[in-house]
Amino acid sequence: MDQLTDKLIDNLGAIVGRENVLSKADELLVYECDGLPHHKHRPRAVVFPSSTEETSAIMRELARAKVSFTPRGAGTGLSGGALALDSGVVIEFARMRKILRIDVENRLAVVQPGVVNLHVSRAVLPYDLYYVPDPSSQPSCTIGGNIAESAGGIHCLKYGTTTDHVLGCRVVLAGGEIVDLSAEYNGYDLLGTYVGSEGTFGITTEATLRLSQVPPAVRTLLAEFAEVDDASHAVSAIIAAGVMPAALEMMDREIIRAVEASVFAAGLPPDAGAALLIELDGIEAGLDDEARKVTGICMEYGARNCRLARDETERKKLWAARKGAFGAIGRISPDSMIQDAVVPRSRLPEVLHAAYDIAARHQLRIANVFHAGDGNLHPLICFDSRSADQVRRVKEAGRELMEVCVAAGGTITGEHGVGLDKRDLLPLVFSEADMNAMLSVRAAFDPLGLCNPGKIIPMLRGCGEARAISAETNAVPLATKLQSAVPPPDSIEELSEIVKRAAAQGLTITPAGGRTLLNTNPATNLIVEMSRFNKIIEHEPADLIAVAQAGVPLTTFNQKLAENGQWLPLDPPDNGHATLGGIIATGLGGPQQFGYGRPRGSVIGMTVVLADGSIVKAGGRVVKNVAGYDLCKLFTGSYGTLGIITELIFKLRPRPAREATVVANGSIPELLAAARGVLDARLFPVGVELLSSSLASRIGIEVDSAALLIRFAGNEKGVAYQVEQALLHLKNASIEETGVASDDSWIWQNLAAVPVREAPSFATHVLPTKLADTSLDSHSLWQVGVADGRVRTFKHVQPNTSLDPLSQRVKHNLDPLNLFRGHDYEHAA
Amino acid sequence: MAQQGEKLLACIHCGLCLEACPTYVITGDENDGPRGRLYLMRAVAEGRLENTSDAFRTHIDRCLGCRACEQVCPAGVEYGQLLEASREELSRAQPKSDFTDKVLRFVLKHVWLSRTRLRLFFGSARVFRDLGLPRFLLKTGLARLFSQRAHFALALLENSRTIFHTSGKSVPSASQTDGQSPPVLLFAGCVGGGLFARVNRATERVLFANGFKVSAPEDQVCCGALHAHAGDLDGARELARKNIAAFKSGEPIVTNAGGCGAMLASYGHLLANDASVAEAAAQFSSRVRDVSQQLQTVEAEAAPLNKKARSVPDTTNGRCVTYDTSCHLLYGQHAGDASQQMLSAVVGPNFVPLEGSERCCGAAGIYNMLQPEMSGRVLQEKLDHVRETKAQILATGNPGCQMQIGAGAQLAGIKLQVCHPIELIDEAYAQAGVYGDGE
Repeated sequence: MDQLTDKLIDNLGAIVGRENVLSKADELLVYECDGLPHHKHRPRAVVFPSSTEETSAIMRELARAKVSFTPRGAGTGLSGGALALDSGVVIEFARMRKILRIDVENRLAVVQPGVVNLHVSRAVLPYDLYYVPDPSSQPSCTIGGNIAESAGGIHCLKYGTTTDHVLGCRVVLAGGEIVDLSAEYNGYDLLGTYVGSEGTFGITTEATLRLSQVPPAVRTLLAEFAEVDDASHAVSAIIAAGVMPAALEMMDREIIRAVEASVFAAGLPPDAGAALLIELDGIEAGLDDEARKVTGICMEYGARNCRLARDETERKKLWAARKGAFGAIGRISPDSMIQDAVVPRSRLPEVLHAAYDIAARHQLRIANVFHAGDGNLHPLICFDSRSADQVRRVKEAGRELMEVCVAAGGTITGEHGVGLDKRDLLPLVFSEADMNAMLSVRAAFDPLGLCNPGKIIPMLRGCGEARAISAETNAVPLATKLQSAVPPPDSIEELSEIVKRAAAQGLTITPAGGRTLLNTNPATNLIVEMSRFNKIIEHEPADLIAVAQAGVPLTTFNQKLAENGQWLPLDPPDNGHATLGGIIATGLGGPQQFGYGRPRGSVIGMTVVLADGSIVKAGGRVVKNVAGYDLCKLFTGSYGTLGIITELIFKLRPRPAREATVVANGSIPELLAAARGVLDARLFPVGVELLSSSLASRIGIEVDSAALLIRFAGNEKGVAYQVEQALLHLKNASIEETGVASDDSWIWQNLAAVPVREAPSFATHVLPTKLADTSLDSHSLWQVGVADGRVRTFKHVQPNTSLDPLSQRVKHNLDPLNLFRGHDYEHAA
Repeated sequence: MAQQGEKLLACIHCGLCLEACPTYVITGDENDGPRGRLYLMRAVAEGRLENTSDAFRTHIDRCLGCRACEQVCPAGVEYGQLLEASREELSRAQPKSDFTDKVLRFVLKHVWLSRTRLRLFFGSARVFRDLGLPRFLLKTGLARLFSQRAHFALALLENSRTIFHTSGKSVPSASQTDGQSPPVLLFAGCVGGGLFARVNRATERVLFANGFKVSAPEDQVCCGALHAHAGDLDGARELARKNIAAFKSGEPIVTNAGGCGAMLASYGHLLANDASVAEAAAQFSSRVRDVSQQLQTVEAEAAPLNKKARSVPDTTNGRCVTYDTSCHLLYGQHAGDASQQMLSAVVGPNFVPLEGSERCCGAAGIYNMLQPEMSGRVLQEKLDHVRETKAQILATGNPGCQMQIGAGAQLAGIKLQVCHPIELIDEAYAQAGVYGDGE
């Protein structure tokens, strides 16, 4: 060990105590790899902090010594992400394993990063709550690692991945700066950008997690197929039929046999070519109908047999078998390479064929166990690492497999992350311009370049620093006075040209869509109308995705999707003109965001023109994707200040068969209390909105002081049951005046359309339990999301647009000339 | 170690074992988890790490050997066997020369392998205990004047005492059973025979009452678990051969100590490479069962308490009973369920489940004497859960665990009595008059 290291170890020891630093070569050996052991890099030291402050001090010391570092939790990751390259230091969080706070009423938990995923759910189960993301490693993996990877799991088809369930993170940046990132922050969605950044942005030392109600009823079906092909066709058919299973998993013959030989044997049919495990959950009413529907589809697509799990014991066994499948491969092979790729669901059959072909060509055994509902493949290729030839063949096969997936419109990782393992595959899905944009954001978080270096993005020629913009000398001037408009561009290339010329002339730009919310910054020179970006490019019902240009109005888009029984479930402030680009640029949700999520959760991919005129893509066209940084989150809600969105890819939902709204009249405190009662009754409303009487009157509902609207959506029986239960609860809460709107779409359309140009809305968030303390009177205009704590008032409030230093760095790195002036963010900058 | 190559390759490094491991949960150091230890073993086997390495020694030594990791391992890694091989490797590559180890080696070799000396050893321990000396030293605080380790050792010995009055329960003689009674062979165990003879007697009485003809072969010796755990596989094999000879008759071998049971069940593996006894060893291992498993073979209507057609007497006098599963009963013998069912038959509503019952208590053979600090931390967690139950009696199916939890509770000031589940069954039988009019 050199002197420099000795000194560093001493200094780290002074911070955490010498016994909390490992530095002997032999003890560092086990830290040379993670769950993907063919990558090996031994760290210089391993240090165990016990608090945010210690972590910050460690990172300050490492910055001083210019030594890079890598955070690590349980080391169960499958991308080589938790390895310290170039003799960096591993910062290990296994000792920060306390659940700090559980807030049952507001359904959240605050935890340290070393808390094991499963322990969160175990701790809140007595309150009928759970933490949704459930990667197969959940008995061991830590929340910190889950956040770094934006871990998925079996149940993310219906409920989303880690990014949808993290409400806030305390993050230490390289150099020791501590920042709090929050989902409710009124500015750039740095949290969304941070989750899934694989430890290259900073280190989580505390996380606030969303807890969800345990569904009161579950049905698990086991369908056996003779052929993988039939099973994969059935998967697409189930989704296209409008069923939204909580989980939809496939296991092929090799996997079934390996599992059945392990401690996780669950009685899976060893002679089947493939088995589907399908889980449906929700309220009891109507669930059997759905199970019958799924069974019908499976049989129609050639299932030999499709049956319900006999009891809870068998259900648990089946899932344990599924989750233990990866490990069970250890029985049939000395080593295995687990792959992780996502393809559009509808392309599963051909991609699986190709996977078996590739393995056969390389004379390797392959087994498949995967999240079929998401199109998230996990081919396991068996080999023996002691044979150099086999290692070579595995690598070749792995790469070919990835190429096939990408060619089918997929991506190179859905949940395991890029890390070290797939770094060199990233150019398969992203161009150099895309990766440069990612590097710019990375440089904003980690200007020192010390955070987990060498991961995710291969070394590029450009270094991610903001690039100088070449001035165009012979360009025709675009505008000569303030606030003029150029002819609406027709293509992305034209738009890119306008941006380049504006930059050269020192003009500032604001994009405009339906002008629903546009509150033009006076400092804007040019308004660029996006009206000609009005094409709906693609809708694939079996994949539950659609691609459209930014200028398409939401109403038009949803009319088109409705032809196939699907929709984009957003209800932002919208008088019928709001465009997809505008909705995403503002990121504003509406009353039903409680049930369907905010716009940030619906965007899976986008194309953006940046300040230097470069055209970059973020995300992709598959529902699960952790390749590269999630820049979609960054642009969503950035009010056009970071780039101009031209094209969007959305994940969709099946249209509910039935919707109904319970309307109640009462005093504000009574209605608030009653609404909370309904929320705690294990019902699943999509929106619970309290309106002042004046607002209610504007949309055609006359009440004394306030109106409570509770909307349910789903199948016939489920909605009928929930409406009945909600009415019962309201009655018990002595709310006498209630009614049910069976044809209720007018209520929600009118509510969204309350004109906002004349009375700009201002939304803020409080904890749902604090709503009772918020001063609300019946005369002014306001609406409150009782379930999510959203308070929307209609008065002129100057939004707080000051940017924190981190956001300023992001803005500066992406738009150094401050070209984009959509919102007033830059005033404070 | 190198011969273990194939077994080591089974580990795919998934890490599902981490949270099952008591030492990993405490230190958070991957060297102290099963996956890390296997990684060290593999590095030694492949020549990437010297077998003389400190890390290898420290972290293999620090393993409790509870085998909880095997239960959650999807790849089926035979961790317990690999651990023993590593300890053997260590005992050759890094022979210890400290006093504790010298004493240990001497005792294992010269006391445990000789029946006479072993009897003498436990005989003196018994006399010492029954004279009340440990109690006196502990109560007066004099024990604290010795080393902390000796202090704890005295508490262990003190907690091998009985909590029931056994007088009046006579051991039935063979003549009380008829020719139809299926014969079973009792494995007494060294600590069992030495300090827990009453548990062996209770086991005999309960088995007799359930219609079994019980005998205990004269020539049986210690199971060899202590030797195997300490890396003395040759010593373990020597004992195994003697036991195989002593129990050659082919009848079921009944144990009441999880540690012994698990060891006996692994003779097949231990002697697999010795062609002269391999088959006999495998056959021996297949005959081993815990007393609770043996009792499960009895038809419900033939169970003594049912035959007496009386309500089950409350042997606990209203006191709450909890149950701690011995690791080796659970992971080595897979008898955790049987043992708990046997207990709940007589405890009924007074039973309170123990959180973390499946986790090691830190006794782990003589680990508590060799690694007192880590053992103490593991024990602490157990005691915290015991406190939460508010139970007054804790039953556990292994003498080491019984002494460990009893000693821990005593020193922590928790009012807790510890016994073997079979003692509670025995007591219930006595009170219900199963043994005749009894006292």
